[in-house]
Amino acid sequence: MLYGMTNPAVQLTGLTKAFGAVTAVGGVDLTIRRGEVVALLGPNGAGKSTTIDMILGLLRPDTGTVLLDGQPPARAVARGTVGALLQTGGLLPDLTAAETVRLAAGLQRTARPVGEVLREAGVEPFADQRVGGLSGGQQQRVRFAMALVADPELLILDEPTTGLDVESRRAFWTTMREQTAGGRTVLFATHYLDEADAYADRIVLLRSGRIIADGTAAQIKAAVTGRVIRATVPGADLAALAALPGVDRVETRGDVVLLHCNDSDAALRGLLTTTAAYDVEVTSRNLEDAFIALTAAGSAQ
Amino acid sequence: MNATYLRLEAVRLLRNKRVVIFSTLLPAILVLIIGGVSVGNDPDARKYVMVSMALFGAMSAALSSGGTIAVERGLGWNRTLRLTPLSPGAYVMNKVILALLVAVPPVVVTFIIGATVLHVRLTAAEWLLCFVGAWLSSLPFAALGVVLGYIAKPDSVQQVGALVNLVLAAFGGLWVPVDLMPRVLREIARFTPSYWTGEVARSPLDGGHVDGQAILVLLGWTVVLGLVALRRFRVDTARA
Repeated sequence: MLYGMTNPAVQLTGLTKAFGAVTAVGGVDLTIRRGEVVALLGPNGAGKSTTIDMILGLLRPDTGTVLLDGQPPARAVARGTVGALLQTGGLLPDLTAAETVRLAAGLQRTARPVGEVLREAGVEPFADQRVGGLSGGQQQRVRFAMALVADPELLILDEPTTGLDVESRRAFWTTMREQTAGGRTVLFATHYLDEADAYADRIVLLRSGRIIADGTAAQIKAAVTGRVIRATVPGADLAALAALPGVDRVETRGDVVLLHCNDSDAALRGLLTTTAAYDVEVTSRNLEDAFIALTAAGSAQ
Repeated sequence: MNATYLRLEAVRLLRNKRVVIFSTLLPAILVLIIGGVSVGNDPDARKYVMVSMALFGAMSAALSSGGTIAVERGLGWNRTLRLTPLSPGAYVMNKVILALLVAVPPVVVTFIIGATVLHVRLTAAEWLLCFVGAWLSSLPFAALGVVLGYIAKPDSVQQVGALVNLVLAAFGGLWVPVDLMPRVLREIARFTPSYWTGEVARSPLDGGHVDGQAILVLLGWTVVLGLVALRRFRVDTARA
């Protein structure tokens, strides 16, 4: 292979971008390995689209570099190794769906058979209709087919389901799943927590142009809110419990203790081996709580 | 140039016939009014008017064809193209070829009216040369149209295009012969590409001496405007 298999699929180093006095992206470092499915999660205005535009080479960063498989974005685009689905527009209303995908194929150096792509992306039922007359969900499928036509190694989706109804969203992600089964690297921006939770291996949480958390959905929940161990400990020694590894704080309610943990696994090991604790329960707040906690911290700044 | 893109652009053109119809209708009406009524029965004047109006039609068509780029940009189409390997050079080439295609019908229709209604008589060679001259002279305007498509906003591109078109036609001597203009205007005329297109397209009527300088000037305009268009395609990536 001409380009090494060892290069990360995406490597962002010290990326910044300001529009006038407004900093859209304030220093993003991010490495995405091959085959990862990563969600770029954040509220509106967090810098997701700006980051994606820089990754695709549509925007020039003020500082920092973007490497896609070790190459600058323009090279990746020219080689057809990156496919993208952008938020809105980007289609010609007077072409049919099939013509649009055929055009996208014709602009690539190598492309998969158009008929196959139309079928996979679910465009076939309305392939001969003009794009201008299609619903939002159908247009999104056309964009998806265009992004897939060169069989790219890296797929970038900017809020792919914004404006779609629940059914279209679900259908879209079902198709997406089939497409990533082959080990394709995917980066998608979203402000839907459930999508990030359900479809990404890894969530990168963006707020005010900075990454404020990066990990699996479970890690993010734990990192932000921690987990709570609830147990019944007869005659509990509060100082000893507070000294257990991974425990931040202890509360008691009669015989019931609540251990607020930053590492609930370590705390649990200590709790079960050094005390007579029973009725043990570990709970975490859901991702939505984590998200609200993080973004609220942002607005309080 | 990209064959698939060019073919589908032609398909779009046939679906939205507005550009072709309007750019054909206007010179057709003008050649009937000016050639049929204003200049009377002078055969030389009629030839002059016919070729000038054909040129005007080709120029308007080429300009407005490029202007549709403003609408495409408004739709975010250029961002889509930027995510494909299509090179700026191939893109501009496609748009210029498309503009040349759109420039054919007005020339043909104007010549047909000239031959039938105005009884213009030319030799076969003169017809052919006048046609090629009038048609290919629209080249710099094709490039100018692409540039306009980038400078203008989708909602104002038609008005801007129409204004540029009128100014170029008037100052370039397509409506009133440059020789009849006051001296100042004659000097201004030489700075418009339309003046030189007139020189090229009408040269078969004055004995067939094609002005080398005129061709060079037109090529110069085409190259410079083409480069500007290329540059605009490269930098234009803003969100719709």
